Amino acid sequence: MTPAQRREAVSFYLTISPWLIGFILLTVGPMLYSLTLSFTSWDLFGSPIWIGLDNYLKEMPSDPRFWQSVKVTLIYTAAYVPLELVGGLGLALLVRNRIRGIRIFRTIFYLPTVLAGVAFAVVWLWMLNPRGGLINLALEQIGIIGPRWLLDPDWALSALILMSFWGWGRAMIIYLAGLQGIPDVLYESASLDGANDWNKFWHITIPMLSPTIFFNLILSIINTFQTFTNAFVTTDGGPLDATLFFVLYLYKQAFNFRNMGYASALAWVLFIIILILTLVIFQTQRFWVYYAGEVKDE
Amino acid sequence: MADVVFKNVTKNFGDVTAVNNLNLSVQDKEFLVLVGPSGCGKTTALRCLAGLEHVTSGDLYLDSERINDVKPKDRDIAMVFQSYALYPHMTVFKNMAFGLRFRNTNKTEIDRKVREAAHILDIDELLDRKPRALSGGQRQRVAVGRAIVRDPKVFLFDEPLSNLDAKLRVQTRREISLLHERLASTFIYVTHDQVEAMSMGTKIAVMNRGVLQQVETPQNLYDHPANKFVAGFIGSPAMNFFKGRLIKKLGTLTFESSGLSLPIPKSKAIYYQHYLNRRVLLGIRPEDIHDPALPVINIRPAEVDCKVDLIELMGDEIYLYLHCGEKEFEGRVDPRSKLRRGDRAKVLFDVDRVHLFDLRKDAENPPVISTRDA
Amino acid sequence: MNKQDRQQDVPVMRLERMRLVLRYILLAMTAFLFLLPLYWMISSSLKPAYEIFANPPVWIPDPPQWQNYRQALTELPFGRYAINTLIIAVGAVIGHVVSCILVAYGFARLRAPGKRVLFIILLATLMLPYPVVMIPQYIIFSELNWVNSFKPLIVPTFFGNAFFIFLLRQFFMQIPNDLIDAAKMDGANLLQIIWHVIIPISRSAIATVAIFTFQFAWNDFLAPLIYLQDQSKYTLMLGLSFFRSSFEVNWPYLMAASLSVAAPIIILFFITQRAFVSGITTGSLKE
Repeated sequence: MTPAQRREAVSFYLTISPWLIGFILLTVGPMLYSLTLSFTSWDLFGSPIWIGLDNYLKEMPSDPRFWQSVKVTLIYTAAYVPLELVGGLGLALLVRNRIRGIRIFRTIFYLPTVLAGVAFAVVWLWMLNPRGGLINLALEQIGIIGPRWLLDPDWALSALILMSFWGWGRAMIIYLAGLQGIPDVLYESASLDGANDWNKFWHITIPMLSPTIFFNLILSIINTFQTFTNAFVTTDGGPLDATLFFVLYLYKQAFNFRNMGYASALAWVLFIIILILTLVIFQTQRFWVYYAGEVKDE
Repeated sequence: MADVVFKNVTKNFGDVTAVNNLNLSVQDKEFLVLVGPSGCGKTTALRCLAGLEHVTSGDLYLDSERINDVKPKDRDIAMVFQSYALYPHMTVFKNMAFGLRFRNTNKTEIDRKVREAAHILDIDELLDRKPRALSGGQRQRVAVGRAIVRDPKVFLFDEPLSNLDAKLRVQTRREISLLHERLASTFIYVTHDQVEAMSMGTKIAVMNRGVLQQVETPQNLYDHPANKFVAGFIGSPAMNFFKGRLIKKLGTLTFESSGLSLPIPKSKAIYYQHYLNRRVLLGIRPEDIHDPALPVINIRPAEVDCKVDLIELMGDEIYLYLHCGEKEFEGRVDPRSKLRRGDRAKVLFDVDRVHLFDLRKDAENPPVISTRDA
Repeated sequence: MNKQDRQQDVPVMRLERMRLVLRYILLAMTAFLFLLPLYWMISSSLKPAYEIFANPPVWIPDPPQWQNYRQALTELPFGRYAINTLIIAVGAVIGHVVSCILVAYGFARLRAPGKRVLFIILLATLMLPYPVVMIPQYIIFSELNWVNSFKPLIVPTFFGNAFFIFLLRQFFMQIPNDLIDAAKMDGANLLQIIWHVIIPISRSAIATVAIFTFQFAWNDFLAPLIYLQDQSKYTLMLGLSFFRSSFEVNWPYLMAASLSVAAPIIILFFITQRAFVSGITTGSLKE
């Protein structure tokens, strides 16, 4: 390396040092620590007691609340993610034109995303109130007596899924950026070739949008698996653990029951699940994601 | 029969008039080039024909049928876009076959047509590649191939060569001309490059600011421009213009401008005599200005006393930057000329080849005073 | 004329006009669905207690109880909470802006062995779920006696944030080399280059980082939940959550409180939404 290159390398490491230090202190360190903790049992008093793989092999499998939280999170994710993927796309397609006033609509659809997790949850807590909430009042107008939603173990999770549409704005914005990247000429050319709107959607929009869909899919899964605030504020996991999301359960184990070891193990299980899912989806890219690649002009 | 007629076609975008009352007809099998500077309306006119824009007023006819309200896909027109518009996620084959899929053509037919077009354009080996693996010139051919496969009534080209490097451009120009002969179809071609226009079209339509200036064969356009704009646009380097007056000097009709005195040849004087004592604009092309030391036959020379400001040695000719009095102008002379910077010279203007424009009729874009019998 | 810049010209054909109308109807209906919860919230916040469960529902409270707001916001010390939240949010903005600009510059414009690997690691951390580091971080901060203070919420931001580093890096990579080379020729060192060349040009990207950070800090719930124990230190979100769970729910008050807590962010959003919604969707964040 020339002296100049060495200087540059030093500069590089200096500039990224904040992140690097933070990475070691607040990410790698804690990760290793939590991994180690996951092999212990500890309630913050005294020292952690080594129990090897017991958390993973004995405690979790025999813990019905663990399985319940996994079930809740999986069901929610399986419903939420496709809905958001499709719903966000639908919104984006609605607002992609530059017709008059379209910006107002974009703002309206994005606005709920700006609201806090807590405020968002509170709004829907009220909307889904069995007595005074708009949902049941509206249902009553058409003669249906609505369920008790968030207060009913059979309906609570569905209620959370129901209100999720309000958050589609985030996906919409990302789709809009992706749609913007599709050159108009492609549609014009297809017009001349005889394609109708449906053809254009299937053969141009979707393939060209596939990287964006992929990005949204990954993002959505990672976020949804970590649902916490919604559940905490609306139901605190109830009623009867019907909405006991995984991270909520983890939180309870760590900060209510002080089972640090067990909670750490739960965290790692979460991590592994997300990792596997992400890797699997990455592997499927080849089949359905078309990267246009760098199209360089002469 | 695939002839195209623009009848009083106007296209507005809000307050802006992009195409202003265009009247133009293109015969079947003709190669018409629409040329003009950026913003002159040529691309808009093309897109109106394709159906990608709605005509504000006027009528469009294809094959004697009014197509204003016909959807683009039903007009049987194919277009080669400036950016080629190739679908990045499809192979070349699929790109070319795309149009046929929506016209219910069966698979064997599609295969045959695509391969045929690929063969014409010499891109057979590229059929399985994706656009990002192709060079600019190859992509352009695929774009053309896509149009050929459609076998349309009219081919539209929107500045297809502008993204190619100079050498490729020259080569592709020739290929497109050959293609026109081979396919014997109507081609309507838009470009801002007048060299391209002159070398390719059978007929050229010059536009400026939405208005059609002149429609002529290339040679006629060069020899008999209809107004100052066309005269200055066609031909490179551009024509020199001198403001002056027609007077009678020693019994001969003469053009007088500061420092310049050019007698008008008798053959032309007939046409100009009505303009005696009027303000006119004189145009002369740089190539019609000659070094007096290198006599050229078949010209009618008139001396102009001037000074050489700068010369550019081009190899096959020399560009002279001259000035006479206050007026600066350009000449293109024989490469053997010995004229150099700072020289005073009495260059020769070939007055047989000057053009006079009537400044009174239109000061900004004066029409030519015709020397042709109607 | 760039097609992008042109207003869609008025469609002439009847079919197109119908389609436009259909689109507006669809937009209006969807917008209605989206705005309804918000409207219901506002309307509920102004209702007297007896109207809250009225059936058929009362759409426009009569008379509107503006005092609900004052009362709700004084039931709990929301003023204090607002100050707390502001301190944390501003602290986080400073932390992110300072650190992310520096780190992003390194990744964008300096060469060094191992850079690629580090960048991949940076991106990988985006996928790391917070719970994995949450407990150890809590224990570490506990050892430092930082629990029950704002420190665990502000200090980590000075170590950068993967997402914003990535965003700024992409932006910085597009700055023309010439500008930086010229500064180097003029004798500027690294920090001077960043201060005099990079930052002025990147105002819009940096603004994005600031706005998103502020929004996130304002809305953050889990971290403040585990680190702030004294009620006096609560953020607005914590306060709101506490409000909801601690009393026999007074719905109008709760709605009033929620709106108030969300209002600053909504206002910020409206002010900057040109940069948000338009900017992201036009591919680049130009002012």
